[in-house]
Amino acid sequence: MAGGYKYFEAIEKHAGKLGILIAIMVSLGGLAEITPLFMEAHKVHPAEGVKPYDPLRLAGKDIYVREGCYLCHSQMIRALRFETQRYGHYSVASESVYDRPFQWGSKRTGPDLARVGGKYSDTWQRLHLMDPRAVAPDSNMPAFPWLARETIDAADIQARMRTLRRLGDPYSDAEIAAAPEALKGKTAMDALIAYLQGLGVDNEPHAPATAQAGAR
Amino acid sequence: MSMFWSAWVMFLVVLNMGITLFLFLWGTRVKIPTLPDGTSGHVWAHGVLREGVRKLPRWWFVMSACMFAAGFTYLALYPGFGRFKGLLGWTAHGELARDTAANQVQLADLMQRFKLYTVEQLAHDPQAVQLGGRLFEDNCSACHGRQAHGNPLLGAPNLSDADWLYGGDGNTILASILDGRHGTMPPFGEAFGEAGVANLANYVLSLSGAPHDAAKAAAAQPIFTTVCAACHGADGKGNQAVGAPNLTDHIWLYGGDLATVEETIRHGRGGQMPAWRARLGEDDARTVAAWVYANAHRAPATSQ
Repeated sequence: MAGGYKYFEAIEKHAGKLGILIAIMVSLGGLAEITPLFMEAHKVHPAEGVKPYDPLRLAGKDIYVREGCYLCHSQMIRALRFETQRYGHYSVASESVYDRPFQWGSKRTGPDLARVGGKYSDTWQRLHLMDPRAVAPDSNMPAFPWLARETIDAADIQARMRTLRRLGDPYSDAEIAAAPEALKGKTAMDALIAYLQGLGVDNEPHAPATAQAGAR
Repeated sequence: MSMFWSAWVMFLVVLNMGITLFLFLWGTRVKIPTLPDGTSGHVWAHGVLREGVRKLPRWWFVMSACMFAAGFTYLALYPGFGRFKGLLGWTAHGELARDTAANQVQLADLMQRFKLYTVEQLAHDPQAVQLGGRLFEDNCSACHGRQAHGNPLLGAPNLSDADWLYGGDGNTILASILDGRHGTMPPFGEAFGEAGVANLANYVLSLSGAPHDAAKAAAAQPIFTTVCAACHGADGKGNQAVGAPNLTDHIWLYGGDLATVEETIRHGRGGQMPAWRARLGEDDARTVAAWVYANAHRAPATSQ
């Protein structure tokens, strides 16, 4: 056994060797937990009814990301009763295949938005984004009035669609060509509202959706 | 998880647990060469720091042993070792289904009882009203407000008074909740012109006895009786069948000042109450309707 200690000593007394071996041991956990999911991510197929974002919603999604909405709002309903009861069916990976980057989030200062689409009217969403206190007196959400004054650059959205197509999202040439028409006269506010109103509506998994109605 | 990745995870788990377990068992038994001064001979900082040789404290040994036991037990009972599903067969979705079912069992008697009564009767059931109130706060208060006083910025009606757009009986309230409402006031700005809009607004104000220009109001009366009366009625008392508001009271959906009424006539209004059938389901919606009914029929002194 004392012979074995010799090797131990050799490791312990050489900082470089020790560092490398520590790095190997520490990475085992990540290799076991992250690598398989990472390598199999491409096997996640869009759920039935999940389509790539139309130009207006795509613009809205990018505004959602730009304004940092994910810092306070998650889009991840966990498989816990009190979550499904409040927000609806739990989120599944096949719903967010076209979210680049995904907006699951882990911080809820405000409520989860995974299935907020259709919960409120467009008018409510607009008023709420212009001045959250107008509809929820004790809300601490910031107002985003500049979105109503900001127009959307159709060429930019077309470029984004082409990039997403390169990454594998099935946009057709016709859809990309039709983008300027769909974005005509739309503001960033319109886009964001369209995005919010689509959350969980087009994306909700179809088969297990009955679990939501029976959540209570 | 494919066979390959399952094997990958298993291999890494065995490797990791194996190495740490070996160190744990071997490290406590190995004979460490010790110098007469009780140190291992390892020195740092030119001999200022020397490494002593001590037995591991018992508490450390016991805690580590417990950690290994907990780790192996976990891997045996729960999913984690590659494709092995664990002896308990536990899944997050299974737990959700059990919790949901347990909750349903807990509520079953209550819901069964609620089904026996009309919404009006449920409004006297404290448990139904309590449940409905919670759901109202979470889902409805965003537009109607916590006290259900409404929000004129949205045209969200005040639900705590005796004035109803579509009717205040239990079943009508329930129908509004389950299937939503689309209140549409068409825009008349182009048809009537600016002067016509101003005249008509004064006529509308005259219906409730609000301050108005009598001459302008009189000028607009023919328009009201031929056009507006189709929905709001010849007397302006509204029509609950189409959700046309009563214009003769002092209750206003969007505001009752001249400018707001003109705006309503000029550009029209589109009030939208979302449908809640899919989100709440009928049982829950009935408790919300019961709360709304109870809240509206509460004595004025307690409604604040």
